[in-house]
Amino acid sequence: MATPYRDETKGDKPAGEKPEAKTGAEVEKAFHEEGGLGKVYDAALLKKLWPFVRPYRVAFFVSLAMMPLASELLVAQPRLMRAAIDDGIVRGVPGALTRAALALAALLVLEFAVRFVQMYSMQWVGQKSMAALREHTFSFLLKQRLAFFDRQPVGRLVTRVTNDVDALGELFASGAVSALGDVITLVRIVVAMLVLSPKLSLFAFVAVPPLALLVDRFRRRAREAFREIRTKTARLNTYLGEQVAGVSVVQAYGQQERCQREFDEINRAYREANHQSIRYDALLFAVVEMFATVCTATLLFVGARAAGANTEAATIGTLVAFVQYISRFFEPLRELSGKYTILQSSMAGAERIFQLLGNPEPDGELDASKSGKADPSAPRIRFDRVTFSYGKGKDVLRAVDLVIHRGETVALVGATGAGKSTVCSLVQRLYDVNDGAVLVDGVDVRGTRSDELRAKFGVVPQDAYLFPGDVLTNIAVGTDTPDRARAERCAKDVGLDSVLSRRGRGLETKVDERGANFSAGERQLIALARALYRAPEILLLDEATSSVDSETESIVQQAIERALEGRTAIVVAHRLSTIRNADRILVFHKGQIAESGTHDELLEKDGIYARLHKLQFAVAAG
Amino acid sequence: MSVDSVEVAATAARKTNSPRASEEPLPIAPDARWTVTSLMRAHRREFAIGSAFLVLSTTFAALVPQLVRGAVNAIVTARADDGMRIALTMMIVAVLAAMTRVTSRVWIFNGGRNIEYRLRGEILARLHTLGPAFFRGMSAGEVMSRATNDLGQVRLLVGFGALNVVNAVIAYSVNLPLMFARSWKLTLASLAPFPLFLVLTRFFAKPLFARSRATQDAIGALSESVQQTLAGMRVVRAYQLEGPEEKAFTKRSNDSLEANLSLARLRGSLWPILGTSAAVAALIVLWYGGSLVQRGEATVGDILAFQGHIALVAWPTVALGYIVSILARGKASLERINEVLVARPDVVDVAPSAGGSVLSAEEIRGGIRVDRLRYAVDGRALLDGVTFSVPAGSSLAIVGKTGSGKSLLAQLVTRMLPTPDGAVFLDGHDICSVPLATLRANVCLAQQEAFLFSSTIARNIAFATGDPDQADNVRRAKEAATEVQLAGEVATMGDGFDTIVGERGVQLSGGQKQRVSLARALLAAPKVLVLDDPLSAVDARTESLILDAIDRAASGRTLLLVTHRIAAAARCDRVIVLEDGRVVEEGTPEELLRGKGLYARLAEHQRLEAELEAME
Repeated sequence: MATPYRDETKGDKPAGEKPEAKTGAEVEKAFHEEGGLGKVYDAALLKKLWPFVRPYRVAFFVSLAMMPLASELLVAQPRLMRAAIDDGIVRGVPGALTRAALALAALLVLEFAVRFVQMYSMQWVGQKSMAALREHTFSFLLKQRLAFFDRQPVGRLVTRVTNDVDALGELFASGAVSALGDVITLVRIVVAMLVLSPKLSLFAFVAVPPLALLVDRFRRRAREAFREIRTKTARLNTYLGEQVAGVSVVQAYGQQERCQREFDEINRAYREANHQSIRYDALLFAVVEMFATVCTATLLFVGARAAGANTEAATIGTLVAFVQYISRFFEPLRELSGKYTILQSSMAGAERIFQLLGNPEPDGELDASKSGKADPSAPRIRFDRVTFSYGKGKDVLRAVDLVIHRGETVALVGATGAGKSTVCSLVQRLYDVNDGAVLVDGVDVRGTRSDELRAKFGVVPQDAYLFPGDVLTNIAVGTDTPDRARAERCAKDVGLDSVLSRRGRGLETKVDERGANFSAGERQLIALARALYRAPEILLLDEATSSVDSETESIVQQAIERALEGRTAIVVAHRLSTIRNADRILVFHKGQIAESGTHDELLEKDGIYARLHKLQFAVAAG
Repeated sequence: MSVDSVEVAATAARKTNSPRASEEPLPIAPDARWTVTSLMRAHRREFAIGSAFLVLSTTFAALVPQLVRGAVNAIVTARADDGMRIALTMMIVAVLAAMTRVTSRVWIFNGGRNIEYRLRGEILARLHTLGPAFFRGMSAGEVMSRATNDLGQVRLLVGFGALNVVNAVIAYSVNLPLMFARSWKLTLASLAPFPLFLVLTRFFAKPLFARSRATQDAIGALSESVQQTLAGMRVVRAYQLEGPEEKAFTKRSNDSLEANLSLARLRGSLWPILGTSAAVAALIVLWYGGSLVQRGEATVGDILAFQGHIALVAWPTVALGYIVSILARGKASLERINEVLVARPDVVDVAPSAGGSVLSAEEIRGGIRVDRLRYAVDGRALLDGVTFSVPAGSSLAIVGKTGSGKSLLAQLVTRMLPTPDGAVFLDGHDICSVPLATLRANVCLAQQEAFLFSSTIARNIAFATGDPDQADNVRRAKEAATEVQLAGEVATMGDGFDTIVGERGVQLSGGQKQRVSLARALLAAPKVLVLDDPLSAVDARTESLILDAIDRAASGRTLLLVTHRIAAAARCDRVIVLEDGRVVEEGTPEELLRGKGLYARLAEHQRLEAELEAME
């Protein structure tokens, strides 16, 4: 299975670049901390994202349109303030103060309303489109062939559907898209100031460049710290999680102290990054506020000097309006650094999702050239020189020919890894053969729609998989309205009724995740009932009774015998006692059928089957 | 017996009270439990300095509105010099306010982070002492949640919470007198909406936390269901469950969507409502203050000053509304962290005061004697009367069927579980009286379940060397990999020995993992090496090569080999066979082979298997 793959998140380092001699710790650090963030802007990714946003475009554009409107409402307020002070208070125009105050109140309420609509509709678009993307990704996964899952760890796929989609959704939720609105607001404020008083604007703007530089510097540092915090958080949690999972190894080798030291290094770096972030956030916060005050003071100074010269530079109201504009100008600057990093991690998430979606390996693709009409006279199942291997491993089946007739029960036996279970997988077309063909009812499985093909089978796998719910839904799996009477009959047939009555709730007995509240044997009984419920044309029993205790086994054995009547069946079994009654026994050895015949014939042959039989008793006896 | 045995052992550890744990005081000081007060006291320097600067910065900030008032009034009355002087003062005050404000925030927030850092380190240190009994009661996910979510809550309490409580007190006590001094009427009028602030934030805080929790739960449920479906893919295929699974997923996905949107609605409406309330206060000042000016009871400057003061007390008031919730949650979280910090280890180290063992590292030769070892769970003996001895430098195979107790025995001999007193001896000393550090350095268990860290292969092998990055240790790691027949496969991996393994790195096969784990054990080179079924996932051809390596490694040390493979057992000096927790056979491999016991039957079984394998 050694299919080493590189994690696609490792970043865009040129592949050929050999790193300088690094210590293992450095390699480990680089691996865990590198490439968590993507490019900020990637047109190709956004294009792929658009189909998911498109259905919600109306809300999206409404939200965008609200941005300039909100800016307009914001910019209007200081002007009203000026009117209230100059006309209403200083000059005492009757009613002016009340009018201005009321107008101001109205504007405020309106602004908040617009902002709420803007924010909420953007979040709504984000959530809706991310749910669509999530569902699309999940249904994509459902359509991939089994070989795809053999190579990808489940945990990683789960991460794509959950964490990565969430990271992408942050784009909308955190208001990274709304950063656009911030820019609009900045421009509008500058314009408003110039209109109000070009001369005062100049005084105000003189201080802007040096301060903007300062703010930008802090912002950069804050961003670096923020980045560092994000990568270190992930590292910290991975490390701690592994220390928990592998604590017995740490203890067995007495490496607590060293691990504590390594952890402390990460913990310390994380704290240091946070200290940096605290410092620059505080500086950013304080400097912006200081600037607003200094600007106010400057304007008051200018105003006072003009008053001394008896040339009014500006009214008090204008001064106040200016002060308000200035403080609003710097507000968005404080938050831009956080939004930038979120944008980066969103893009990284998008990249990973679309990378997954861009490399499909669809399951059960119909090959029209191989399709045909089911032939009732053809053998139920035929293997025509089938060769198969999992991935690039060695061949599990080598040019196997095999015919199973209607109504026949065939048992497959052999040592572990001889290829028995693979036969069951191939008839359902869970994997495609490398060479040769598998035919069911005379038609190549690649020429049959896989849902129609698979509906013919009732499968009882070795590790019976149960879904959370109750026993009834697990037996009548896949049906919208379970037939209770039928499920009860099936349960009784396999001796499940006595198990269930002990638990007191019958078919309504709850099934936990993975069926953890049932023993392996009980799970197999439920799976057997599930297979019978389907009344399938073909039964596949893959080590179906391996975990059933011997007392129950005789009950199950009878049930199986009844079920096998009139049906085609493939029975894979380790326990030779369960296959004595088969019409035919095929002995698999190293990927080929080495012997075939009835139990007695095979014993007489004194070949592989006879040895398997002896093997069975070698340990059990005694 | 892997998983089951660990679980059984864990239950055992929980139920049988280890005499040590109950009779002797824990080596950990009783103040391992923290309270909010003790935490803050431990970091009093940060909080004291931060609070002092907070007083200064709030005072400076409160001066600004007063200076604005002075300047504006000077402008209105055309006192240019006064106005200019006040404006310049204001600039200086602004700089001082900024400087003190930065300092106060840095000290207090850093204090919060320092506490978080300290607690996180303490959590790991404690986890390192805990055994399966603890982890059975608290899942790994639960532990992680305490080390992340709960820790975050505690930090919020001691950082954000502390800053804002102090800030609110100071802001009120500095600003209110200044406001009352100018106009008590305007003060009362402008503060009128403030109680509403408190009510509103209190009103919002609870559902806000609850809904934020709900979104976490929803995404957790979603991720769990994806995990389930993907793990059960074969059944999904066999029974065409794609449709129902998709439907179920959509439902879960919608739940998550709804939870998120409901949080967004609340968050989205919280700020406008708070903003409106703050604006209402400012409007009252403008409108009512304006009328006071017209009546000659106040100046224009007063109005601007009041607007400044109002802004200075508005945020602390809002924050206070949250503090109550933060305080309650932070305390609960600290309690949950304390549960980890005071958890009792099931294997307790010898108290240093007790003198420990007289055994020094040089004296250890590696002789192991087990004397009537009994280990019971719920009164049922999993091991009973197990007695054997392994002279220093010799080897012993422990053979038995699944569930016979052989893995449990391996864990008790190495004291990975609470070994009873007076049952296992190292060179004649009860291992319970040997300091754990000495024991671990000389008696090593390589577990059956090979755990690999998501690090490089070299670092995983050199795990036990203390410094896996040291050049010499890296070299030895590579040698060990060659010994266990792993080097060739490693060479084909992208980065060779620097290849990262694990969930996000390269996935190793069961056999590869097992060999990494074995190489790790060989490299540790302890006096006593206990290998728990090190070859279960390795094919027969590789097996004999690795057995040669184990032979080489065993020379000069004591080897206990737990195995079900006769080929491996046959190479040992002696063999014991376990059945239902008792030793049923003992002798040299040759002696046992001649008998008719389980060992002989196993040998016959494996001989047949080999014969079958050889057939074409």
